[in-house]
Amino acid sequence: MTTDEPNGSAADSLDDTIWGAVDAALAGITADPERGAQDLIVFIPKGELTRGLRVLKSSEGLSFDYLRNLTAIDWEEEGIDVVYHLYSTEHRHNLTVKCHLDNDDLTLDTATTVWRAAGWLERETAEMFGVRFEGHPDPRPLLLPEDMDDTFPLRKDHPLAEIEVLQGEGIAYAEEAFE
Amino acid sequence: MTQPPPVLENEFETEDIFVNMGPQHPSTHGVFRMVLTIDGELITDVTPYVGYMHRGAEKLCETMDYRQGIGYMDRTEYLANFNAELSYVMAVERLAELEVPERATWIRMILCELNRLSSHFMFLGAFGTDVGVFGTAFVYGFRNREVIQDLFEEITGDRLMFAYFRAGGLAWEVPDNFETRVREVLKDSREGLRELDGLMTQNEIFRARTEGVGVITAEDAIDWGTSGPTLRASGVPMDIRRDEPYLFYDQVDFDVITGDHGDVFDRFYGRIREASESIKIIEQCLERLEPGPIVPDRLPRMLRTPAGEVYTRTEAPRGEYGIYLVSKGGNRPHRLKIRSACLSNLQALRDMTIGGYVADAVVILGSLDIVLCEVDR
Repeated sequence: MTTDEPNGSAADSLDDTIWGAVDAALAGITADPERGAQDLIVFIPKGELTRGLRVLKSSEGLSFDYLRNLTAIDWEEEGIDVVYHLYSTEHRHNLTVKCHLDNDDLTLDTATTVWRAAGWLERETAEMFGVRFEGHPDPRPLLLPEDMDDTFPLRKDHPLAEIEVLQGEGIAYAEEAFE
Repeated sequence: MTQPPPVLENEFETEDIFVNMGPQHPSTHGVFRMVLTIDGELITDVTPYVGYMHRGAEKLCETMDYRQGIGYMDRTEYLANFNAELSYVMAVERLAELEVPERATWIRMILCELNRLSSHFMFLGAFGTDVGVFGTAFVYGFRNREVIQDLFEEITGDRLMFAYFRAGGLAWEVPDNFETRVREVLKDSREGLRELDGLMTQNEIFRARTEGVGVITAEDAIDWGTSGPTLRASGVPMDIRRDEPYLFYDQVDFDVITGDHGDVFDRFYGRIREASESIKIIEQCLERLEPGPIVPDRLPRMLRTPAGEVYTRTEAPRGEYGIYLVSKGGNRPHRLKIRSACLSNLQALRDMTIGGYVADAVVILGSLDIVLCEVDR
């Protein structure tokens, strides 16, 4: 979810992208396109996500067989977006899939059933943002200590430790710099 | 008359042994731990543990302005700093719609390819030690890396943390003798590669240790999201430099090196051949290098980007190094995600190791050429 709406009608401006093929493949699944700075972005609602991803992977003309990246964006009170960057080694095209989650229900079905590459990436997203991936085969934390399960460092409300100022002179400067 | 020893009636009871490797182990290339479950000499299960070096680089970048983030890229991928910086500045440039001057682009390309060379030399040296070509390969590899490192130091003023790329161009002009120095380095590297090739590739014992070990099929390699030489060794010709050209890679001629078997040897030999391709690319870049500006005419003092998002990926020595940059507008990223090549490559370690011998675990891990700082960020 970005703060800007795409200019004009969405269908007009997406002619040069792979939206036509994606739209056809995702028949029966709600998909909302948006033009990104580089790749096409498609929003798929939570309930239909896994089905959508599976279709994108298996569909003939798209075959997104490679999961480049998986992460999340914290929009604070507006919830969290989980982002999938897909690539096709055969057709060499890219697609960004996004799924919006509300803050009161941060659960999502795992994508490890589609690409095994999602395994560690989901573990990282889970520990950093508090998104629970249902059905993940190995839901342990990846980078953080195992007992650090009550706080999610990449959320915007998680504070960054303050910079230690050892000399009196520096205090004013440090405060200024971090305002 | 002596009695024959009694026949044992009970069958032998065997049990699996857990072997803990790391985090402090010379062959883990940093701080990495894996727990091997072994049945005799055979590995039946592997559990890798990462995160010992996690420093929250992404979070830190989200609290800093775009220029300050460059330094953090150096610290995540400390063996291919230029490649890491490039991904980052390209992401910022694309969002801020900055045009990079031609000369700066060629210099970036030369430096990135030189960095690939130096990283591969480091790999060849370290991998030699993993396999057991003690000392010799290591010294050879480091000798050549040092020559390249010296050049980097002359250009950027720092041995490791260059912070030389800027959104829009370069921090400052390269020294006057840049072209001659690069040609010297290339001559040296070509020689060094030939020697290392002779020392390792032609070595029968080395080949016996590496051929047919740690095999991963193309389908598995794609499914696990591996990239770079690891993926290409399995025969998948995926190279971002060619598939989605950035900088001026579409204007130079080079081959994408693929392997046939997806084993340790292919991953090793692919890097040697790739290093030769890098030399080829740099030579073509030097031909095209012309005087000119290295930063755009109008570069704001404080860089701001409009709201939007971009995922830039570049072909770093270890694979795809990607930066996912989300901006809400302003002078700092709202979200910055570093896509680590090694993280995804390490995931595939299980597939490569299970069913192999304990002695090969180190060799297989070494063939992935991991940088733990990049995995943990």
